[in-house]
Amino acid sequence: MPETVLAGRAAIPAAAGARERSSKAPLVAALLGFAVLFLVPCLGVLYTSLKSDADIAANGLWAPSGNLTLDNYLQAFTVGSTGRYLLNSVLVTVPATAISVALGTLAGYTIAVLRPRGGELIGFFLLAGLFVPPQILLIPLFQGFNATGLYDTLWPMIIVHSGYGISLCTLVMRNFFRSLPMELRAAGLVDGASEPRILASIVLPMTRPALAALATLQFTFIWNDFLYPLVFTRSDTMRTVMVGILQQQGQFSVAYGVQAAMAVLASLPTVAIFIAFQKHFIAGLTAGAVKG
Amino acid sequence: MTIRRTWWAWGFLAAPLLAYGITVVWPALYSFAHGFTDWHAVGGGDFVGLDQFRRMAADPSFLRALRNTLIWTVAAVVVPTTVGLALALALNRITRFAKLIKSFFFLPLALSLVVVGQIWFWIYRPEDGLLNIVLNALGLGSWGHAWLSDPNTALWAVMVAWGWQQVTLAMVIFLAGLTGVSRDLTEAAQVDGAGAWQRLRAVVLPALRPSFVVVTSLSLINALKSFDIVYVMTGGGPFRQTETLAVLAYRVSFKTYDFGYGSAVSIVLFVVSIVIIGLFFAWNSWRDRHA
Repeated sequence: MPETVLAGRAAIPAAAGARERSSKAPLVAALLGFAVLFLVPCLGVLYTSLKSDADIAANGLWAPSGNLTLDNYLQAFTVGSTGRYLLNSVLVTVPATAISVALGTLAGYTIAVLRPRGGELIGFFLLAGLFVPPQILLIPLFQGFNATGLYDTLWPMIIVHSGYGISLCTLVMRNFFRSLPMELRAAGLVDGASEPRILASIVLPMTRPALAALATLQFTFIWNDFLYPLVFTRSDTMRTVMVGILQQQGQFSVAYGVQAAMAVLASLPTVAIFIAFQKHFIAGLTAGAVKG
Repeated sequence: MTIRRTWWAWGFLAAPLLAYGITVVWPALYSFAHGFTDWHAVGGGDFVGLDQFRRMAADPSFLRALRNTLIWTVAAVVVPTTVGLALALALNRITRFAKLIKSFFFLPLALSLVVVGQIWFWIYRPEDGLLNIVLNALGLGSWGHAWLSDPNTALWAVMVAWGWQQVTLAMVIFLAGLTGVSRDLTEAAQVDGAGAWQRLRAVVLPALRPSFVVVTSLSLINALKSFDIVYVMTGGGPFRQTETLAVLAYRVSFKTYDFGYGSAVSIVLFVVSIVIIGLFFAWNSWRDRHA
């Protein structure tokens, strides 16, 4: 997008451009200041994670400190089972992301492209899940997982996210497939390729950008989930990271620095993925603006 | 050919429908049925008709949770659409540092509400929280407060923490929408002598209608579901003042194992959600026809 702005302004005489630029300087400064202010909570937790207990006890949580240390991060792993929680979160998030995106792709493709009779209705039915509050699902699922012996394992979270995520994934993929030109599919049909083959070898390669964006989103949602592991697990070894770090702090009076280190560790995967994805995001916006 | 295609279409739909049926449709129907029983965790529970709903009408916890959810919903419509839009419009005007500033604003979106709640819990700490420190430094020490344990401020304090993240989401969506606003159109309006405010009202805002719909529906959905941030920051306290319907449904179901009442509360939450979102969509299509 910046490129288009520059290109659009090129026609304006240089003097006007300079005037425009200097008139925007206060706005840039204000936004920059506000953005930094907006980040203070994040920076605060990061900073606290590097301060020693003695320091925090003497000067308070938000006071500046001279000597910083990585001790809290070591302690996060030795005091609590942070390593175990992180592993559990990976074991839940990766399969649940893959399954929900795959199922949403199948449904979105069928509804948008194959369009069987009643397909639109099925689409509405699947999208309705977006408006179903998770609370209404908890008691029956809790009973069901108890009856099947899956309670207090990682399976409930994998299963529920795989199913509950279908609504969003179907919505995103349906909209994406509607915007795709389907002439290539017609070529496959003429060649006599079967429907699964057309989907796998012609359609899927075109969906990579949408799949990447959707998978990022689902990964973030599932990783950050708190409610399902809170209800469907009980033992410390089955906790995913968000519930794990919170319970740890409740049970043992964990030092603030260690709490902050745990919060940072729990956030690292989604922040890392988000930063990587943001480039795609902005590149997509820029490409769209230039094309338009 | 078409028969084979239909056959495959249903084949493709089988797995998503099955998974959705098991994890969403069956549990929702099951809860609907059990909101009319006096089911506790042990034993089956008997059909009691509308008793659980009558109980709600006389339950101050429920009425407060309903009120809090509605307050939250109103804030969720107003704040992201105004603050988020203002930020997006401002960011859309600048080029220098735009990328850096945007990535600063985007970062909170990656955080879980558990972490957001924990950070803001520290900001609100009465003795050494950042907010009271800043107030002191500004000479407003008398405004200092135990933000989360005062029943008058607790709900608002939690909503501010939630809004911190929600505003960013709105901003991202508005920014994406703004790239679709034709530059030619705004420049033509400028040549015609339209001022900044007129351009905004006549050209930019109408073009942003789809983004408004997306932002508002997302905020509504998120507001109605709000659970994590309350649970982490206040646990619903002080004196249950910050409980939402989602928190109440959880507490009744899994702290007191009153499954019948818990199901009934979650039914109300579901119905409230459908009514609010339905009203919004109805209003939206009415506006489309009368634009």
